[in-house]
Order: sequence, then C-alpha cells, then structure tokens
Amino acid sequence: MGYFFVIPTFLLVAALFFYPLVKTIIDSLYKSSLVFPKPKFVGFGNFIDILSDRTFYEILLQSFIWTIVVVVFQFLLGLGSAFLLHNPFPGRDVVRAVVILPWIVPGVITGMLWVLLYDPQLGMINHVLFKLGIIEKYMTWLSDKKTALLAVIFVAIWKGFPFSALMYMAALQGVNPELIDAVKIDGAGRWGQFFYVVIPEISPIIRITLLLTFVWTFNYFEIIYIMTKGGPGNATHIFPTYIYNLAFTRFRFGLAATYAMITFIILTLFSVLYMRELEKRELLD
Amino acid sequence: MDMKTRSREAVVKAVRYFLIVLLLLFVLFPFLYMVSTAFKAEEDLFSAPPKFLPRGPTLSNFQQALQPKFIRYFMNSFIVTIGTTIIVIAVALFSSYAFSRLRFKGRKFLLKIIIFTQLFPLIVIIIPIYVLYNKTGIVNTHLSLIIAYLAFTVPVGVWMLRGFFKGIPYNLEEAAMVDGCTRLTAFIRVVLPLARPGISATAVYIFIVTWQEFMFALTMLTGEKMRTLPVGILDFIRQYGVNWGGLMALSTLITIPVFILFLVLQRQFISGLTQGSVKG
Repeated sequence: MGYFFVIPTFLLVAALFFYPLVKTIIDSLYKSSLVFPKPKFVGFGNFIDILSDRTFYEILLQSFIWTIVVVVFQFLLGLGSAFLLHNPFPGRDVVRAVVILPWIVPGVITGMLWVLLYDPQLGMINHVLFKLGIIEKYMTWLSDKKTALLAVIFVAIWKGFPFSALMYMAALQGVNPELIDAVKIDGAGRWGQFFYVVIPEISPIIRITLLLTFVWTFNYFEIIYIMTKGGPGNATHIFPTYIYNLAFTRFRFGLAATYAMITFIILTLFSVLYMRELEKRELLD
Repeated sequence: MDMKTRSREAVVKAVRYFLIVLLLLFVLFPFLYMVSTAFKAEEDLFSAPPKFLPRGPTLSNFQQALQPKFIRYFMNSFIVTIGTTIIVIAVALFSSYAFSRLRFKGRKFLLKIIIFTQLFPLIVIIIPIYVLYNKTGIVNTHLSLIIAYLAFTVPVGVWMLRGFFKGIPYNLEEAAMVDGCTRLTAFIRVVLPLARPGISATAVYIFIVTWQEFMFALTMLTGEKMRTLPVGILDFIRQYGVNWGGLMALSTLITIPVFILFLVLQRQFISGLTQGSVKG
C-alpha cells in the first residue's frame, strides 16, 4: 500500500528530474549551435573545451565568492535578528513580519527596486553616501567591474537573510529554558549562556540552514538576471545565469548542458553532506 | 536586584531596542522608497539628486499599474499559484502519510531521492523541459507552468508534511481503528484535523515560492497573454528607459497583500517550519 501512495510523487520526479537529467547528460556529449543546428557527437569534447577556457574559471570563482559571502552574511544577520526578536516586546509580531518582508516579495521586484536605488543619477545610495562623505564622486555601481559583484551580493543578502532568521527564530523557540536556568545558577553570564547552551542546542538547525542556503544561493538566478544580466562583461555571471545565457540567448545547447552537468556534480557533493547530516540525526527513519 | 545589575539591564535593553531600530531601517528603507516613488509625478521621478518624498503626490502611477493587462498578469499568477498549491498538497498528503506511517521496502531510498531533488540545480532541468514542452505543444499554457512548478514544490511538500505527521502520535489512529474506523477514515477524521496547522504552513511556503518564481515563467511563457506578474512587471522597462513610477506602484500593490497574509499567519508558519523541515 505504501507504494501506491508514493507513486504519483515518483512519477513526477521521474518525468521532471530523471528524464531531464539523462537528457542533459546526453546533450553534454554533443556540440550544437545556431549555425550548426544538427548536433554532432563530440564525447567529452565540451568538457575539455570548458576546462581549457578562462571564462570557466572566472565563473567558478565568482560563483563561490557570491555563494560564500551571501551565506555567511545571511547566517550572521539571520542569527542576530532571531536573537533580537526572540523575547517578547510590544509590537514584536509586526516587527517580525516586516523583517521577513524581503524574503516574501518577488525577487524581480527586489531586483528592480535596487536597480533604482543603485542608479548613478536617480539613486538614493549615491546621494546618501555622498552626503555622508563616504564616497567622493557618484559611483556607477552596477556597470563598474570592481563594484558590480559586490552590489548584487549585497542585494542577495538583503533578500534572503529573513529565511535564516525564520529558521533560527523557530530553533530558539525549541531551546529548553531549564537548560539556561541551569547554567545561570552556575554563574554563566549572557555570553556564557549563548555559547554553552544556545549555540550547541540549535547547532543542528544551523548546519541544516547553512547547507540549504548554500545550495539555494548557488542556484539563485533572478537577482543577477534582473540587475546586471551577468555583466559588465562576465563580471557578475554565476553558473545559473551563464548557463541560461548560453542556452537561451546564444542557443549553445550542448555547451550549456555541459556547464549544467558541472554544476550538478558540484551540488551533488553538498547534497550528500546534507543527507549525511539528516541521517546522523535519524531524520530519515 | 541591586542598583548595578538593574542599570546594566537597562543598558542591555536600550542596546537591544537600538539594534531593532537599525534592523528595521535596513529592511524598510528600500520599501519606503518603493512606496514613495509610487506616488511621485514625472518631474519628481527624474530629479537628480533624488528626493525621498514626492513633492506633489499623485495617483497616476497606480492608474497605470491597474491597466487591464496587469490585472490579467495578476490573474495568471493567481491561477498558477493556487493550482500548484492545491495539486502539491493533494499529491504530497498521500506520499507524506505513507512515508511517516507505513513501512515498505526502499522507503529510505525513496526519501533520499525526495531530498536530493530539493537541492537539485533547476538550471539543469529547465532546458530539457523547455524542449519537451515545445515538442508536445504545451508551452505557453498555465498547465505547462504548473507542471514545471510541481517539480520543485512536491518534494518540499512531502518533506514538510511528513514532519507534521510524524509529530502526531500513531496510537490516536490505532484507537480510532479499534473503534471501527478504517485506515482511510482514521486518517480523515483523526490525522487531518490535527495536521491542519502543518498543512497550512506547507501551503503558505509553497504559495510564497510559486508566487515569486521567475526563471521558469520567463522561459515557458512566450506569449504576452499568459505572463505571470514577475515576468509581466518587466513591461515597465521600455526601450527608452524604465517607467519607475508605474513599476513601483505595481510593486507596492503586490507587496501589501503578501505582507498582510504573512502578518496573520506568521506564528503558525514559524512553528510549522521547524516541525516540518527540521525536527523531522
């Protein structure tokens, strides 16, 4: 009977994951483009091309900078906000809902809103930073190679940190108050309580949230697509945006499939870690 | 409490409130600017340096945001989101029940596949799905988008709901079955009512994710009539520049209901999130 109930789910999984994955593996072994629409079998030729192309290493480096910086700051901001908003105060529910807002508003809106804020002439950011004396001249944040990646990273942090905050808020609710009382009696101060009780208690959730946000950020598409389309040059391209560009702008399906396979291999590594974490905590039983 | 600890408590409290205000500013500043831009008239929109507040507030941007085509995009989004959410809950209810209650061979392996798909790079599947849709001719329909969305929402739904079901003691069902219920009626009369908060938390999560989805919508919906809001809102980008007033007015209109929805449901959602996805 168990099988009967799970069949619909796995039919979907087979059609929407298994089939496309196999198709991508096959495509990655062919060369095709708009000029030569008939795919030609090249074996691992695409992989070799990519590994000897400088662009690949740029994208790889940018993908990891983007992902790691975003994840670390989402963790810090998320945990910080969860602590600030844990104990009740008047208006806490409204404050919490406001803090969650960036996460529930469509990424397209977030992207466009920040394009306006970053605008060299019309944007508030230049105006405010200039008035405060932090910058000496108006910056072209999104079209300057030196600042573009940082600018989109900042937006991704702003947009995504509420999810981490939500997870840690929920985790803090689960911490047994008696444990805190126990170390208080032993003379632990605020920081002592924090490091000896709270952090160990919520560390499983921290690990799971870090893994989830890592994978999601690595796969994140719309902020960059909306704000810079990967430019200037390739300065803000990460794997998903670059692959999308290869496939749907340049119609290089074979090359796109090969890049997709590389992404898949990198992320499988993290899936395995995530699964081990769940298994260790007997969450799969 | 002596004077010293009391004044220290007061300092800690003041610091805490100060940090909360900072956090609010960090989150709210862009949104406030969005709302203020929505009320700006043409000459205010293009004033450099920018003004934070509109000089002569106008509603004309909202008139543009409420054009028939945007109402249609809204309806498209609504149909796709509601359709996806209902199908996911229906499909996931059965699977998650099986995963939490029934023992069968390969259960753990299948569960691993579910988790694996949650971390899957969607960029890998979008190209083959697009090609497949083109061949079968269902590209550019609501259904094509709903099916694509099921790919990444059903697994999450199964995983979250399974967590909720596991939190409901099995002996409640057993007792109902002793009293003459079948497995199905025990499920409907005993388990479902208890799982309601969990089901709504899952539904809200799926709603939020589907409502803002952009990549699939951009790729699969080639015709203007079928566009969902996240893609349709880009109509405000024109060749000679962006119509910021209209764009921000529509953004404001989209944001307010989502905010209210979350304000109402947040407590359920926060406790639901841990029960379902973390505590297992």
